Amino acid sequence: MIVHINHISLKGKSAKKSSLGELASIVTGSLVNLVEGGQLDARIAPSLRVHLDWIQYKTNFRDPVIVRRTTDARGKALALAEVAIDLRQCNSAELPLQLEHAIKQVNPNSTENDGRFYLDEYRPYRECLIWDFNKLFWRFLGEWEAASGRGFEAALPTGQSDANRPDAVNDSVVEFWKLLKELEAKGQLPAELPILEIGVGAGTRAAAWIDGFKAHDDAAGTGYYDRLQFILGDYSPDTLARACASLGRHKEHIVPAPLDALNPFKALSQYRFKVMYVHLTNVYDNLPFDDLIRRDGKLYLVEVRAYLSAAAVERLTADFGIEKSDLKGTMARLLEGGPHAALPGGRGVSFWRCFWDYFRLEERLRALDDREESHVPPSLSWSHLEDLLQEAPEDVRFHISRGAAESFANTLPLLHPRGYLQVQDIFVEEMDEYRKGFKGPGKLDGSLVTWVNGALLRAVGARAGYDVHFRPFAFRPGSKTTVMYTTQKP
Amino acid sequence: MKLPILPTTVIGSYSMPEWLERAKNDYLSRRLSRRDLDEMHDAVRKAAIKDQEAAGIDIITDGELQRDNMIDYFTERLPGVQVDLGSKRFYYDFYETSVRSKLATGSLGLTDEVRFLRKYSEHPAKVSVSGPHTLVKRIRNQYYPSEEAFAFDLGRALNFELKELARNGATELQIDEPYYSGFPEDLPWAVKAVNAAVEGVDAHVTLHICYGNRYGKPSFEGSYRYLFPTILEAKVHALSLEFARRGEEDLQLFKEFKAPFTLGLGVIDVKTQEIEPPALVADRIRRALEVVPAERLVINPDCGCVHLPRDVAFNKLVAMVEGTRMVRAELAK
Repeated sequence: MIVHINHISLKGKSAKKSSLGELASIVTGSLVNLVEGGQLDARIAPSLRVHLDWIQYKTNFRDPVIVRRTTDARGKALALAEVAIDLRQCNSAELPLQLEHAIKQVNPNSTENDGRFYLDEYRPYRECLIWDFNKLFWRFLGEWEAASGRGFEAALPTGQSDANRPDAVNDSVVEFWKLLKELEAKGQLPAELPILEIGVGAGTRAAAWIDGFKAHDDAAGTGYYDRLQFILGDYSPDTLARACASLGRHKEHIVPAPLDALNPFKALSQYRFKVMYVHLTNVYDNLPFDDLIRRDGKLYLVEVRAYLSAAAVERLTADFGIEKSDLKGTMARLLEGGPHAALPGGRGVSFWRCFWDYFRLEERLRALDDREESHVPPSLSWSHLEDLLQEAPEDVRFHISRGAAESFANTLPLLHPRGYLQVQDIFVEEMDEYRKGFKGPGKLDGSLVTWVNGALLRAVGARAGYDVHFRPFAFRPGSKTTVMYTTQKP
Repeated sequence: MKLPILPTTVIGSYSMPEWLERAKNDYLSRRLSRRDLDEMHDAVRKAAIKDQEAAGIDIITDGELQRDNMIDYFTERLPGVQVDLGSKRFYYDFYETSVRSKLATGSLGLTDEVRFLRKYSEHPAKVSVSGPHTLVKRIRNQYYPSEEAFAFDLGRALNFELKELARNGATELQIDEPYYSGFPEDLPWAVKAVNAAVEGVDAHVTLHICYGNRYGKPSFEGSYRYLFPTILEAKVHALSLEFARRGEEDLQLFKEFKAPFTLGLGVIDVKTQEIEPPALVADRIRRALEVVPAERLVINPDCGCVHLPRDVAFNKLVAMVEGTRMVRAELAK
């Protein structure tokens, strides 16, 4: 069998000994015992892969030890199987038993499911229930925050967002102003200066940016502010209304634009080749994605099936007085109409929070037919994926950040020939990085996050005439945020 | 073949199939032979000719699909330009190139294009070359004292080729200068370089000036006002300009400066896949007729169709021809 160690954190010689080594040795020892004891089928053992992960998100959608079985393109079971272990969730006492239990499920004909209560069928990540819950979260954000007693930014793993840092905003202002100055020197300054922020939240960053730009412009006496059109792009009219209200002092320069982040061009086509600067913060990491796995040169799509454990079902039915047979119906009402439609009063939000806490995804790998176009994000083609796979390691699991790629591809046509796009987000910059750690999805408080495949966006940009670059976010030490930006290819 | 009033033409390139892009990349990574690639090129050029004829285009090209882009095709052929053949992996990117000594005079081999067109079509045909200013902006100059001097010598080298093309039967030639719009300050010497290129060339010469079409997007923005009055010194017969995407405001410059040229009127936006209705094309032509007489008007897309899918490119050309026929019918009344 092949053991993949997908995460090693370099701590230096003097650092305290990590428990990872101990857990890893328990895994290998236990597996050898299982083979010797005949519990692991000797025909399956040689091709069995065991992945040791360390998932940086304290909560996620996996149990500590999971089994991924494979199917052909039509869903028929194949022999290839994987065991994946989240060492961060494991403890040494329970691990051998968990492994023994998992091994029973490796057999393609196994019907072992631990009494799981399935909420859905197997689907690609992009279509699974997590996106319905994600939408629910942003729709009823206020109620979730009221129940949790903290804002969603405070609930992030780092406890803060890098979106609104004043020094970062100021840096962006100065960079943009310099571009305008350069264009003016060449007599190429456009009469109107549209810029676009997608995903504006409360309008905090937009306000800071325009304030900073006006101050800089006033000090330099350049008069660019008068030409500025700040387009606020968001899918939610309510969010836009709130953001606009907070920008009253600049109202002459504000253009609210309800838009779908996946296709900004659709709503803003009148700005084709006119937008000087596009900014997004933490939008791409919250858009639908797929996971692909390459094993022995063959591609598999990761499909997931949502479930609750038997223990979770017991607790939910007991705590909220719901029959097991009505659990799915209650979930459907929650997703359709919000917490109050699920259960009356504050119990709806409580149910929602508990349900999300228990919510898990089971994975399987479905072999891909060559060139199955439905798995290629809109605006892309298989050749984009082929470009990507050429630079990927032979044996790898990676994201197809289809939402991010689609959004990116549908934003670039807005850019003025000298315009640029900047994205603050968490990126996997090279395909090789996927071998070195788990990159999501992670479960956040009510929502989810996934690292964005920057190499894919680089391929998308290249086909559209843009070089895509990444630089570290320099304004908060230790930040995992990266700034992706475009320059026009020569 | 006698040309009708308001003759239609293309700017040069036709739709690049995705499979050909992959083949070109495969050639660069030595997975495909030159011979195989050339066979593919010949096949798509024939198809491009047929598509243009079927669409009803009066003055056709070979589609230029054998060209990686508008720079490398020439830098690979210009004697004295050094090309780093390992400097690109994607065919559409540019090679790293430099010039370290005076350019020699020699054939670029474009006469093959004339022969190809003659062999496979009886339509009037056009061959285009990238202009000296555009080439200067992409070749690192390590010899000439200035860009101007380099451009002028490139003009001399191109002049040899243009004369060869004319001598071999080319009646319609085009010089492409998309970089003017990004460097308007260069115009005085850039026009002189074009004049050096066309001196004594016995053919109808069009100077095509757009705002760029790399990857299907503009490289520059602004107004054509920068062209005037300097462009009036260009010793060419026609100017082909981009209007469909940018609007017709700059048409008035032809009137304001009494430009003597035939106008190649861009009526098809090649940076969008939306097919223009023929009525819109006709409307654009009618507005141009308010400024330029029909005898001095040629109808064409804004730029090459290389970035458009084949069906879109074809249908756009069909719409262009239909719209032109509508106006011809009106003029005939």
